[in-house]
Amino acid sequence: MKVLIGFLLTLSAFAQTDTQWVLQQNTLTYHVSHPLHQTDGISHAAKGKGVCHANQCDFLIAVPVKSFDSGDSNRDLHMLQVTRGAEFPIVSVRTRLPESDSKSEDIKADLEIQFAGQTVRYTQVSFRLEKQGAEIHVTGTIPATLSDFKIDPPSLLTMPVKNEIPVRVDMVWHQE
Amino acid sequence: MIITGFRLSRFWGFLGISLHFALSVGLLAQTAAMGVLTGKISDSSGAPVANATVTATSAETGQMRNATTGADGSYRFDQLPPGSYVLKVEAAGFKTLQILSTTVEINKTTVRDEALGTREIGEEPRATPQENLPNAPSSTTAPSLSDLGLTPEQTRGDLKEQALLDKRTHMLKIHQRMGLITTIPLVATVILGTGAGGKSEGTATRDAHVALGALTGDLYGITAWYAIRAPRIKDTPKRGPIRFHEAMAWIHGPGMILTPILGAMAFQQKNNGEKVHGIAKAHGPVAIVTAGAFGAALLSVSVKF
Repeated sequence: MKVLIGFLLTLSAFAQTDTQWVLQQNTLTYHVSHPLHQTDGISHAAKGKGVCHANQCDFLIAVPVKSFDSGDSNRDLHMLQVTRGAEFPIVSVRTRLPESDSKSEDIKADLEIQFAGQTVRYTQVSFRLEKQGAEIHVTGTIPATLSDFKIDPPSLLTMPVKNEIPVRVDMVWHQE
Repeated sequence: MIITGFRLSRFWGFLGISLHFALSVGLLAQTAAMGVLTGKISDSSGAPVANATVTATSAETGQMRNATTGADGSYRFDQLPPGSYVLKVEAAGFKTLQILSTTVEINKTTVRDEALGTREIGEEPRATPQENLPNAPSSTTAPSLSDLGLTPEQTRGDLKEQALLDKRTHMLKIHQRMGLITTIPLVATVILGTGAGGKSEGTATRDAHVALGALTGDLYGITAWYAIRAPRIKDTPKRGPIRFHEAMAWIHGPGMILTPILGAMAFQQKNNGEKVHGIAKAHGPVAIVTAGAFGAALLSVSVKF
């Protein structure tokens, strides 16, 4: 009986063993197109964590809206205003992936993004994974649009920017 | 009789124990077949939303359960049959949130923390459109913002700053449009200026030049007022083309004051039948430099907006 209980406890302990992923390096880049020129806003300030349990990993990535730098403080403040970045200061991305995905080279993820006071889900977003020891280099592009988040396109000289604001993701995750 | 009585009491005793055992097993089985759904409702800043109504509707049976969030924003559904649930969160002053897929598993606690967006005045409550995804987030282990080391100060929204940003953008939009409008009489004034001075004896061109110059000055004043009065946002060091744009203002600003003064002197001299002389001769060059700085300022934020 004691052996059985011991075996069950051991099994239970193994079943509940969690692994974690921590975001180590990141570059998030949004791209805006205007008839007069193109702009990229870059942030390296994202924080992220993934917790794996029962073969499923839950990831959360958060980045302050203010941290995006387009090279022009006036434009950044304007972007902060139109995206309601003071009211909703954090962009968060959640996803749940099978633990086995960490062994794949290409994955598709369903993302739940909270931004500008809206929650929007993007399905089957492609990411490329490159294993580097205990780290994984993840790259991909989230096909975001301004209208998804009910953001009025900012304009210059009465010409609005394009609705599409693809966000390029370049991250290095470390397994702990 | 004693033996019979003993046997009878033992019978009832066994029956009692058996019934108790059977009921216990039944209750245990019932408990084991259920799940728990819990979580916290917060606003966009992460502050808990109390008295929010959370409704869990079974996707399979349509059975509904309601819960109200406590002071800490938490809600809890005990004894939920396992399956997929539609979760609806309603709270006064917030947009109604609807999550189409939340899975409750047997003997497990599903944690679903959600943030509500603020509803603007006059806006009708409506569900956030979301899709039923195969691997959508729904888990007991999902990390939270605090797990990432973000403090409440970092995640809390600042409505005052947002209002300041809104005002700033509103004023700068007017500044931008007024600047564009000002360009039209400015260019016309410069063009007419070539025929207004020098050896020209006619007064019509000169009068039109003066009138357009005055209009330009007025419009410029309005344009500048909106830029100067636009709120400043603290902790935002200036970088990029806006620095050049503002540097140009130190040229065209004084130029816009000096040009009409010199122009008035030149106008007076011409009206007296004199040749423009002295400092008034600088009217033309100052006007050109001013217009050039104004154009450069406009282009600096247009080409790299």
